[in-house]
Amino acid sequence: MINIFIDDKPFKTKEETTVLKAAEEAGIAIPHLCFHSAFPPEGSCRMCLVEIEGLPKLELACSTQVREGMKVSTRSEKVIDARKGVLEFLLAEHPPDCPICDKAGECKLQDYYEEYGLFDNRFRESKEKKQKNIKIGKNLILDQERCILCTRCVRFLRDITKTRELGVFNRGLYSEINTYNDEPVDNNYSGNLAEICPVGAITDSDFRFKTRSWFLKEGESICTLCSRGCNIFIESHKGFARFPVPKRVYRIKSRENHKVNGFWICDLGRYGYPYLDEERLDKICVNNGKGNLTWQECIVSLADEIKKLHSAKKASRIAIILNFWLSNEELFLFKKIFVDDLGVKNIYFVDSPEGENDDFLLTSERCPNKRGAQEIGFDLKPLDSENLMNKTDLLLIFGLPVSDPNNLVEIKALFENVKTKIYFSSHSDELCSLADIVLPTVLIPEKEGSLTNVDGVVQKFLQVLEAPGECRPEWEVFVDLGRELEININYYKQFNTPEVVLKEMRKEISFFENKSE
Amino acid sequence: MKEKILSKHFDLENFYKIDVYLQKKGYEAVKKALNEKTPENILEEVKAANLRGRGGAGFPAGVKWGFVPQQVDKPKYLCVNADEGEPGTFKDRYIMSHDPHLLIEGIIIASYCVGIHTAFIYIRGEYEAVALRLEKAISEAYKNGFLGKNILESGFDLDVYVHRGAGAYICGEETALLESLEGKRGNPRLKPPFPASIGLFQSPTVINNVETLSNIPSIILKGAEWFCKKGLPEDGGTRIFGVSGMVKKPGIYELSIGTSLKDIIFKHAKGMAEGKKLKAVIPGGLSAPILMADEIDIKMDFDSLVDANSMLGSAAIVVIDEDTSILDVLKVVTRFYSHESCGQCAPCRIGSSWINKIVRRLCDGKGKNEDIDNIIRLASNILGNTLCPLGDAAAMPILAIIKKFREEIESYVSN
Amino acid sequence: MSPEFSDKTKKKLEEIISRYSRKEAAILPVLHLAQKEFGCISVEEEKLVAELLDIKPIQVREVATFYTMLNQVPVGKYYIQVCSNLSCSLLGAESLIDYLTEKIGIKPGETTQDNKFTLSTVECLGACEIAPCMMINFDYHGNLDKKKIDKILDGLK
Repeated sequence: MINIFIDDKPFKTKEETTVLKAAEEAGIAIPHLCFHSAFPPEGSCRMCLVEIEGLPKLELACSTQVREGMKVSTRSEKVIDARKGVLEFLLAEHPPDCPICDKAGECKLQDYYEEYGLFDNRFRESKEKKQKNIKIGKNLILDQERCILCTRCVRFLRDITKTRELGVFNRGLYSEINTYNDEPVDNNYSGNLAEICPVGAITDSDFRFKTRSWFLKEGESICTLCSRGCNIFIESHKGFARFPVPKRVYRIKSRENHKVNGFWICDLGRYGYPYLDEERLDKICVNNGKGNLTWQECIVSLADEIKKLHSAKKASRIAIILNFWLSNEELFLFKKIFVDDLGVKNIYFVDSPEGENDDFLLTSERCPNKRGAQEIGFDLKPLDSENLMNKTDLLLIFGLPVSDPNNLVEIKALFENVKTKIYFSSHSDELCSLADIVLPTVLIPEKEGSLTNVDGVVQKFLQVLEAPGECRPEWEVFVDLGRELEININYYKQFNTPEVVLKEMRKEISFFENKSE
Repeated sequence: MKEKILSKHFDLENFYKIDVYLQKKGYEAVKKALNEKTPENILEEVKAANLRGRGGAGFPAGVKWGFVPQQVDKPKYLCVNADEGEPGTFKDRYIMSHDPHLLIEGIIIASYCVGIHTAFIYIRGEYEAVALRLEKAISEAYKNGFLGKNILESGFDLDVYVHRGAGAYICGEETALLESLEGKRGNPRLKPPFPASIGLFQSPTVINNVETLSNIPSIILKGAEWFCKKGLPEDGGTRIFGVSGMVKKPGIYELSIGTSLKDIIFKHAKGMAEGKKLKAVIPGGLSAPILMADEIDIKMDFDSLVDANSMLGSAAIVVIDEDTSILDVLKVVTRFYSHESCGQCAPCRIGSSWINKIVRRLCDGKGKNEDIDNIIRLASNILGNTLCPLGDAAAMPILAIIKKFREEIESYVSN
Repeated sequence: MSPEFSDKTKKKLEEIISRYSRKEAAILPVLHLAQKEFGCISVEEEKLVAELLDIKPIQVREVATFYTMLNQVPVGKYYIQVCSNLSCSLLGAESLIDYLTEKIGIKPGETTQDNKFTLSTVECLGACEIAPCMMINFDYHGNLDKKKIDKILDGLK
């Protein structure tokens, strides 16, 4: 560790750190546009110029290494003047598109102008005219006039995806970024370009004109569309007082985590969020004529049925179909109740259909918690309906937001040959009218818990969306069930949050002992 | 000046051919260097000669060579900067056309000194005829055993290649030259790291100007002390001054460093052409801040010009007469830099063109006095804030012209 | 019809590419040869050069559009490039450019109907001692005046 001074305050920092990084760690933000931690410093935007004692010129914070005793000033008059100067140049040729630009509210140029600029426009010449609405990818639109040539997009496609769909052409003021002969940006990480563009030059057509960034609140969550468990931000609408908003979730953004996904997320995860709002099941449905039931009533009646079968040594007449979207805590509680306490053996897992992997983040396996299920000790049997037909009195199914049509066929057939069917589901589907009781459950962003990704990384997640209607998280349901079954009440009484469940898991299962995310 | 170093035989017919060159002690310096001297000797000598770079920056050549690490497991490179893009400059064209073997000797000795086995001559694309002549000279050198493997039985190998540019002034900047040579757009790199450690293909590289290297043979043959005496103690040797503009005898003049600018214009170039009166002089290429007529009593060496807030640069002297409007000079300056900006960094990319747009408007008669202050402000915001020196090279001349000729510009604008 | 280099050029290209430790470093020499052989660097030439150097066509275009001397569209048989920088300007380049426009009927940036001449203004050619100077294809012509221009142009078939 070495000692440096930033704005006259002393800080300790590691050697081989840049001034920019050291300042960031010290809580001092130095403006920058072209720099991105994923790439080596570019040095072209000139926004991060700072004053270093002893050096005649201003130096770039993004590429200057700290040295013992270095004194950096991020707010001296020279620095502020330089920042204003750079901003003025950038804004001179920049179109006044803010009223119609999606980036408004999260645009670096706007932010920096507000903080460091606030000067009048002194550009009296004609701005260069360039193309403004180029579709460069399935979800990407390029506006060359807004482009400040930070080249983050070009560098991303050159160094990360290595597909080079964008390039910089011409020279000087006529420099422009574009595709080659309209060949679009065509890779599974294209959405990251709209995110890393500091201004509204590359925008996402999925988000175009839908809402304004300041109406959204972001919540930290984990993507569940494959086994990687990429860290994401879910951006949901804060809502308006006087009229409803068509949906909650407007956008997914990537969240940095160097143990899992680095800086990026794939397009499957980025654009796969509509299921969070579409076709949701939010009411308890009773199809066996017993009228409207509350959760409490359903749990009590379910517990009664199970107790009856259990005491009659007929645990073999109980069958459960699970999925890999259940959290670690849920799977643990489930196992405690049904495997340990009740001795149920007919437990099956239904997989989401496999897809292509992309040699980077996307795994071919599309199960957010298959590894969790393995580590908790389940025997991951696929559904064997032959074994269950005409031998099952009680079937519990924990539904999948995305159900494979093949599974659906098999399950419908099974339904005809099972006495009582209870379906836990987050979405409305065909089974909802066929099961006896349908209980609405929440999705990952609507509850708390943890998931284990394909590499064995255990990641906690918190609730970032409100549970719709009567939806409840499965862990809560299991805790209630555990108590109602009266086999081991005191054990289940302690579990008032998933956090407590995880603590218990750490004690019992060595895999979870040292995992803390 | 008694004996010329570089242009001694420029007027000799066919001197660019090796058989004529060899008649005049050609390649003696290479023989002496490879047979009698060690690389360390040569480095000492070049350092003691105080040979400063002749491309524009004036960095001491010996010091630059000394930055290259001795032992590395990567190949080392020499890049000869023959891009000669600085407006007003044409001296390297003369050296390469009339005395290519002198340059080749300089390349061989420099490479031997630093431990380089591959050299590229990056020559501007427009100099096609010159490039062909260089290639012929190189091929003659190979045939005569001065290039290739085991040169003169010394065990030293060297390959030299000509690499033509394609019309980009920025490629005269050393790191942009490297990018261009690597097959990319000529965008300057951040420094540090410096080319001496990370240069061409990530390997240690020396970049020297044509004229700089062409001085090496005589330093080897006649010694550092002799070389220094030719110029000034801290600034050894001669410069080939290129004089153009409104003079009677434009052309090259090899003179001692420290020669008076007034003498160069009025004695050597025979004074103003067409009976015109002197208005201003640009002393070191377009990037060198302008000097007024009463400022030409100045010694042409690096330090004297820095003291006068200008620079020796490429020693390209452009003489401007009183019948030329300073707006026309300003117009050329601003147009040039905005055209040649690589476009990487905002201050230069946008600033140089913004100033150019204002100057155009001024020249079209639609300017206001506040535009002049605006230009000063913008140029000052470019100065020191760009990724490479082109921004400074644009800003400094503009600021100097406005400072020294403000009245003339204002009166033009008011009319 | 995709362009192909002549056998003679292919040999030269092989030798040139072998000089560099990375193939793509040869791009400028290769582009000069391509422009000489095919007239300009259009989409076809971009593809050809890209294949030769194991890079993508977009990289060729990025480089080709950076440099002034590489043309994306063909130029006339005689490409007249008149220097308009300082020394040439001081010695009357502007009026010579006007004279050329008058004489061959095109403005800088344009090509004559019969494709014989393309006219453009360029920055310093490095021949300031013979200002005003112009370059026709790669031949330098200096110390120009109207008479000299007449003589040079009339001699161009």
